[in-house]
Amino acid sequence: MVHVYNCHPFASQQIVQVEQEPGLVCCGGGALFVVATGGCKVEAYNVEQEGCPFICRFATMGTVKSIQHSKMGDYLVTIEEKNSATYLRAYTNWRHQAEGKARVGVRLLGHLLRGASVRGGVQMEIIEIPLSKRPVAVACCPVTGDLLVGCEDTLVLFALRRQNQQSLNQSQQILQSTSQNSSQNQAQSPSPNQNFLDFERSVILHLPKIEPKQVALCGGYVAVQMELEVLVLKLDASSDPKTQEESSDTKKTDHIDDQADFMVLPRHQELLGDVAKDCDIPVSIENTGLEDGKGQYTLSYVLFRRFTPDFFQGCSVEETQLHSLQLYPLYTSNQSVPLEEPACVFCFFSLPNAGYLYSLKGGVELLSTYQYPEKVLKAVLTDHLLHVITKSALQCFTVRCAAVAARIVDPYIDTTMKACPPCSMEVCALRIQLFIGLRSVCVDGSHVILLSVADTETPEEPERTPQRRRLKLKEHTLLTGIFLAVGIDPATTPALESFLSRPFLGRKWTISSPKETSPAGHGWNLYVVDSVSPLTLYQEMVEYSERYAETNPQAQSLRHLLSEAHLFLRASLLRTEPSEQPRNIEGEAAETLQTDTDAPAERQTAAQTDRQEVEEALRHNCAQLGDCFSRGSQKDCHLALPYYRMSGLSVTEVMARNRPLPSSPHTYGPGFLFYLKHFLFEETEQTLSQEAADDVIDIFSQSEPSQLVSVCASPSMINLSPAKTLQILIHQEDTCGVSVLLTITMATMMLCLDDLPQYTQLMERHAEMLLVYRFIEEPRLLLHGGVGGRHTHIRPTRLTRQLAKSQPGLLVAAMVALHENSKVQLEQADHIFKELGCENCLQVDFWEAMLMASSQEAVIQELLFRLVSIYIDRLTNTTSDTHLNEPHTPSRRRPLKSADDLINSCSHYGALYPWLTVLNPAHTTSSQHQEALYKLQSLLCGPSLSVGSVVPLMERLSEETLWGFSLHLLCSTRRGQYDRSIEKLLDRCPQAIIAYANHQLQDTHMILWWQKLLPELCNRTRAASDNSILLAALKETLVVVAMEMSPTDFLELIPDDGTASYFLPYLLTCSQRHLMA
Amino acid sequence: MTTKTSLLKVILLGDGGVGKSSIMNRYVTNKFDAHLFHTIGVEFLNKELEVDGHQVTLQIWDTAGQERFRSLRTPFYRGSDCCLLTFSVDDSQSFLNLGNWKKEFIYYADVKEPEKFPFVVLGNKVDVTERQVSTEEAQQWCQENGNFPYYETSAKDATNVAVAFDEAVRRVLALEERTDHLIPTDTVKLHRKPRSATSCCS
Repeated sequence: MVHVYNCHPFASQQIVQVEQEPGLVCCGGGALFVVATGGCKVEAYNVEQEGCPFICRFATMGTVKSIQHSKMGDYLVTIEEKNSATYLRAYTNWRHQAEGKARVGVRLLGHLLRGASVRGGVQMEIIEIPLSKRPVAVACCPVTGDLLVGCEDTLVLFALRRQNQQSLNQSQQILQSTSQNSSQNQAQSPSPNQNFLDFERSVILHLPKIEPKQVALCGGYVAVQMELEVLVLKLDASSDPKTQEESSDTKKTDHIDDQADFMVLPRHQELLGDVAKDCDIPVSIENTGLEDGKGQYTLSYVLFRRFTPDFFQGCSVEETQLHSLQLYPLYTSNQSVPLEEPACVFCFFSLPNAGYLYSLKGGVELLSTYQYPEKVLKAVLTDHLLHVITKSALQCFTVRCAAVAARIVDPYIDTTMKACPPCSMEVCALRIQLFIGLRSVCVDGSHVILLSVADTETPEEPERTPQRRRLKLKEHTLLTGIFLAVGIDPATTPALESFLSRPFLGRKWTISSPKETSPAGHGWNLYVVDSVSPLTLYQEMVEYSERYAETNPQAQSLRHLLSEAHLFLRASLLRTEPSEQPRNIEGEAAETLQTDTDAPAERQTAAQTDRQEVEEALRHNCAQLGDCFSRGSQKDCHLALPYYRMSGLSVTEVMARNRPLPSSPHTYGPGFLFYLKHFLFEETEQTLSQEAADDVIDIFSQSEPSQLVSVCASPSMINLSPAKTLQILIHQEDTCGVSVLLTITMATMMLCLDDLPQYTQLMERHAEMLLVYRFIEEPRLLLHGGVGGRHTHIRPTRLTRQLAKSQPGLLVAAMVALHENSKVQLEQADHIFKELGCENCLQVDFWEAMLMASSQEAVIQELLFRLVSIYIDRLTNTTSDTHLNEPHTPSRRRPLKSADDLINSCSHYGALYPWLTVLNPAHTTSSQHQEALYKLQSLLCGPSLSVGSVVPLMERLSEETLWGFSLHLLCSTRRGQYDRSIEKLLDRCPQAIIAYANHQLQDTHMILWWQKLLPELCNRTRAASDNSILLAALKETLVVVAMEMSPTDFLELIPDDGTASYFLPYLLTCSQRHLMA
Repeated sequence: MTTKTSLLKVILLGDGGVGKSSIMNRYVTNKFDAHLFHTIGVEFLNKELEVDGHQVTLQIWDTAGQERFRSLRTPFYRGSDCCLLTFSVDDSQSFLNLGNWKKEFIYYADVKEPEKFPFVVLGNKVDVTERQVSTEEAQQWCQENGNFPYYETSAKDATNVAVAFDEAVRRVLALEERTDHLIPTDTVKLHRKPRSATSCCS
């Protein structure tokens, strides 16, 4: 189904004052070229000015069979016939041919010799382009101005050469020096705007099996259209000629074989991309460029399409013929035209009943198929519209080129950030404008040029005054015809009949009739129909859409119309980069003749204002599309988000747009809820006002109560009114039952209301572990910001602050759970505790708890280090012999876990070595100090701490105190420095030595008993023989040594000066044990 | 409205400096410039006129007479309907070269029946007092070479210029009527009419 809207893309029409019946018409560069029927004369008119004034007239050298204008180079190319011979000619500098009185230079291709032009006078010049085969079709490249000529079985590409003025002057020197009037020459310097053009034959493509009807050329793409086939090729400049030759060779032979064996039956075919080489049209390439720096060209297949006559019902075989082949470039606004290749290239061709638009770059694909309501004679593709003519109407269809280009320009399209209507969206007819006897159409910028010729059998009524009425009548007939065609008889439907009786040619259609009406009776007219600006058309479509919106806001048509309007604006934004057009060569040529040139700066600002207007319109349109998708069905509802984002509307504005009318039953659409959820759950920086936040609560309590908890937890909702929300939450609990998350949320509201008793009551409703699980589910109850790896600062919620005060254990457990579930990182948690002002208490509790829970080695080592450092801090900042004198300890709260708790429950905390109890003071220190000491000792006794890494930290502790000594001793022991440790221990605390030796000197270190400890004790008792501690230690040592050694070895150890009787019992024990063994 | 328009290509040949461009300018714009540049390559001007009820567009081709421009001018001889062989009465060499010009034209224009092709001979600069070529000599040459009409012209004072061109047109038209070969330029169907609506499928 093709939508037919009745928009007004045309503002006005002018009738061009042509004297003779036009035969051929073409346009370009702001000019309209008319070749009189059968004539050898071209007349040029300015379509940019009111009344299309005559520019100039010039004669051609033969009867023009075909004429084309090239925007690049501002030249015309013709296929002409004279005395049964066919010629190809290019007409340059035609703008200088005022009144056809000046002499016209003629030369062959390549013979760039200047006559009058070089001497100063600007002269029109005709370049004759000799061809070995008869030319059938020509096309000019809109990008480069190159020329493609289709002959019977070849396509010849001519590169446009623009001659440098200086080099040209040099080449003219010889000629001028011989000239008699050389003195005059110097007085006249050539115009700098001179357009010296020439062509160079660069490539010949041999297509022995085809008869081209039309050709097209655009930035390396070559298209050729036969009666029922279209082939698109791509020519690329290549520096490696070898590969190309090989490939073309193999291609050739293959095809010859094929043809020999099979008779090929034509069938409907569509071959895209490389596959197109499987079409049975062999192409070989012959490079002919001489001074072409580009080197050789290589060829690739892009698209092949073949139709069979019977494929199309409703058209006779003769009528099934392709026409209107076009390659169309689209530049994007960030490109500098014409220096760069266009961002997109499209290929259009048409059958009488259907048109096809392909996108060629970045993968060939069929964009749109145009189903025409009646037989189409010719079609022209433009940025915004496809214009087609039937015998009686100009029809405008929408195009999808902008949708393709937008996606090339902006990779964020089709994400949650940005959207654009899809390339595959169905096209529609915007307008069917009636004309009588249309023959041809061409388009230049916003001007559509139409030639109408009334059938001679039915002469047109001569009087022209009631034109409006007549047109109306015709339109009625046509629309009736359309309805009949789709199976509706308007006569049987009164509503339709009254609809048809209304005038369709609305306010915007003005007809400026010529000052002198052309002599009555000539049955032809040449119209220049001006298009309205895209913005104006957009505004009309918006008005149009409002009518849809009133009746049925969810209708597909509304969305479609707004999407079409969107693409209109996109198309004009793609093209409105200022100052890209006037600087082209043809522009310069035109400027020399047109005096009304503005200053470039003025033009630029005007273009910028235009652009701003279009951008503003686009935002407005995005808002409307957002509305469409927000209210629509589930399908595509996610598009509301990117469109609203592109609209620049604030969330409050979007909410206002989606507020249902008090009377209407309709609720919030899924698209709107999707948008709102995305805003609340993903974006953390925008805070809603209380009013807006309350609205959001209302919206969700109505539409999605299950989301209420998450909504309340959103940082954007921080200003919501707690009392109101609490009521809604209570209601929610009443209807859906108690849930932990709901309870926490209600508690949060109580907190906001400063109702601590109620808060406490609610928080006590559930076990702490259950609460922890829910915090994992909804971390934003505790943490705002920093979610999803965003760069925003993480911060604690009000609930977190309260928990730190009233339930620190719960908070620590929750933070550990969040960390272990990757909801928060260690640094973020640190930040939270810093914000809470409990770096030295809860944070340490958190680290201790993390040590218990975490299994990540890196995290464990980091925490161990941090804890050692914190314990050392505590030990140095508290004094060991005062109880309450702790001036700069930030918290007096006891740590959540005591040393004993940690030793019992955490594997990283080891049991204290027994000898430490001898060293540790009993209860002479503060509990904080003692706890810190035990914890540090426990870590040093534990299996995980790498002692080496904390040695630098330990240096802060003095060995003066016994507890300090104990820590250093632990370190040196852990590092295997037993000899030194034994000595030190004997120095400082000999009563601990046996406990130490019993615990430490085992297995491989057993040897130290007699190698180190025994000699050491002997020495020391010798010095202080009355030291009972040392003597006791000596005795214990001897017992151990006697147990472990052979009697002979033992004898050896006994000091020479010792009393035999003292050692004898041990020796005896040793001998007895030895004998028994 | 006139419906039949013929485009007649008339080419001016002759030595450099004999006044081909001046003749063309005199005929088309009715002006004379004693200090015209040498023509380089080929140029043309159109003139509309009505001859014996025929609307005719006369396309007058002016060529570079100097030898070194030969390659630039010869490709455009093809398709000419009439050739004006021009010499200057004060330059006998230009008269002696007429034969060469005729040969060059016939060779490059690819004229099928050279003996029937309409040539017109113009002896220019009759306003000059010191003549080197007499009227009789010129007439005799015309007689011997194909009975060409001969006109003594002066682009400077407009003597006989229009008459000579009128004669050229008349010659061409006479030839074409005889061969029934007036170019019917308006009979080309530029827009193929849609085939009749009676085709099978409609």
